[in-house]
Order: sequence, then C-alpha cells, then structure tokens
Amino acid sequence: MSSRTRTGLGWSALLAAVLVCALGTWSYAQARGDDTLAYAKSRDAALADGKRHLARLTSMDGRNATSVKSGIDAWLDASAGPLHDRLESTRKKDAGRLTESGATARGKVTDAALTALDDRAGTAALIATADIEVTPRTGKGGTERKRFEVTLTRTGNGWKIKALEALPVGSGS
Amino acid sequence: MTQDTATVTGPPDLGPVPESGPDGGPDTAPARRRWVRPLAAVLAVALLGVGGTLFVQGRQLRDTPATSNRALTDSAATSRVTGDVSSALGKVFSYSPQATAATKEAAKQLLAGRALQQYAALFGQVEKQAADQKLTLTSQVVRAGVTRLTGSSAHLLVFLDQIYEREGKAATTAAAQLSVTAELRGGQWRIVDITSR
Repeated sequence: MSSRTRTGLGWSALLAAVLVCALGTWSYAQARGDDTLAYAKSRDAALADGKRHLARLTSMDGRNATSVKSGIDAWLDASAGPLHDRLESTRKKDAGRLTESGATARGKVTDAALTALDDRAGTAALIATADIEVTPRTGKGGTERKRFEVTLTRTGNGWKIKALEALPVGSGS
Repeated sequence: MTQDTATVTGPPDLGPVPESGPDGGPDTAPARRRWVRPLAAVLAVALLGVGGTLFVQGRQLRDTPATSNRALTDSAATSRVTGDVSSALGKVFSYSPQATAATKEAAKQLLAGRALQQYAALFGQVEKQAADQKLTLTSQVVRAGVTRLTGSSAHLLVFLDQIYEREGKAATTAAAQLSVTAELRGGQWRIVDITSR
C-alpha cells in the first residue's frame, strides 16, 4: 500500500468517524427534543403518581395516635395546593377524631385513567375507582367501592393531588 | 497605508523560515507526521465513542412503554375511541320494554369476543326484570378516560350513571364503573372485554 492511499484511507476513516458522531448527536437531540415523547412520559408519570397518592389518601391506620399521625403525614405528602392546605388546617381535629374512632381503612385503586393533561401548565385530571376496606375498632367492617375524580398538579417532587372528589351519581359531565 | 504594510511584511520574506526550524534540516516533516497519525486515530476513536454513546442514549430515551401508548398524545384517536366506546355502552346498557330488539341488535354489533358473555351476565337479570316490571333503563357515560391506546386496541375506564324507571314509581339512579377493552375491527371500535369496578 502506498503512503498516499494510506493517507487517503486515514482521512476517510476520520470523515466516517465525524459522520457517526454527527448522526449520534442528531439522533440524541431528536429524542431529547421530541415533544410527544416528553408528553407521553409526563402522562405515565402523572398516572402512576396519581394512583399511588390516591391509595394513600384513602388509607388510614387508626390503631393508635402514632399510626394516625403517620397516616396524616402521608396524606399531607400525597397532596398539594388547596387539598394540602385544607388537610393542614384540620390536622389536629382530624387526628383527634380518627384516633377516637380507631377505624382503619385500606384503599386500593382498582383502575385509573387520565382524562386530561396539560404538560406546560403542569396540571392533569384523573378518574379512578377504588376499593376501600374499612375495619372499625369494634364490629364488622366491609369494602366500599368508590369512584373518584382527581386533579393533579406537578410539584418539584412529582405529581400530587390538589383536589379530590368522590363522584356521586347524577353528577353529569 | 495598509497596502504598503502588506507588501513589506508579506510572506515572500518569511519563505526560508520553515527550512531552518529548531531541529534544522529535513527531520521536521516526518516528525510532524509521526504524531499526526496517532492524533487522528485518537480523534477518530473519540468521535466514534461520542457518536455511539449519544445514539444509545437517544435510543434509551425512546425505548420506553410510553412511546407505544398513544393515549392523550394522539388527541384525535383518543377522543374517537372515547366517543365510540361511550356511545356503544350507552346503547347496550339502555333498555326499554318497547325496544328490546334494538338493544339486542346493538349488543351484537358493538360487542365481540368475551364481552358478549360478560354482557349477558351483567345484563341478563336486568333484562328479565325489565320485561316483567316494565322497567326502563337508561345509561349515561359521565366520565371516560383512556389508559392505553395502540393502533388497534384500547383500554378505557368509564363511569356510568344508570337511571332505572319503573311505571308509576320514582326513578332511581345507580353508579356503574367499567374497565373496558376495545379493538378496532373493520374501522369500528368494538368492545371485547368488560370488567365491573
């Protein structure tokens, strides 16, 4: 092989490397800048966080004052905005009432779907069904089936529930 | 002025300088070539590495279940499946003693697969009562959301209000929540699975 062809090969190899780098960068930039992909990821995150927080907000371990306190802390952590403020303001009253009643509730979200998502504003609406297993201190408990409409807001710490409504019958659309 | 300066300090005067480099003599050119080659090789490897890494990372960003699910990202398809399924549920879960045939026909057209048996189980008792007690049932979708949507299949959660009217009695309303799987068959969304929540 003459030195000239070797130089030529060297240059083409370098050129090929430059092309590979450019393609890789382009492909990465495309993925990063893909709005649909970002939107889809927000959707999945909002749904997953919403389900998890709804299960916490429908649960309460009423065995004693400590368990009630940690239950209310979980409620506060799962909520944001108006719901958080309301729970915060009634915190003492709730704790007393719940400790006194001693009832335990375990919420399980059976299905949930997002009905709206505004990625830019950081808000989402979710509907969900939950089975809430209630065990009173004395007597027989039971399982309640409930349907909820939830408003989510994005915080620095994931999506949180800012409004929660148990949707009664006849609530139209 | 500038023209003058240019001619005075022009390259022709510097011509012989490279020949008399620090090492002096003909060694200079091969010496430069000696480190140009490895440098080019290192550069090429670095470029390949960066390009490859970015490509793989871009792939990882894309390769999530999020991308295949078009719920909400494709708003036209999402509202279409929501509309089709809502209207289908409204039709098959509405019943009046005068229009039993219409309900049966709708069920045959809009349901398929397992949903047909599930429908029979959910609706069978109502149908019996309806005939005996002149019961009219009207179902209305109050909320519906799509959890999964691909080109040919979808999963939805639907909230219904069911209004029961009996002759000479006040109407009662009941809530129903259904998880529904639908498939696109022949250009129409058909319900293939119903689970009551």
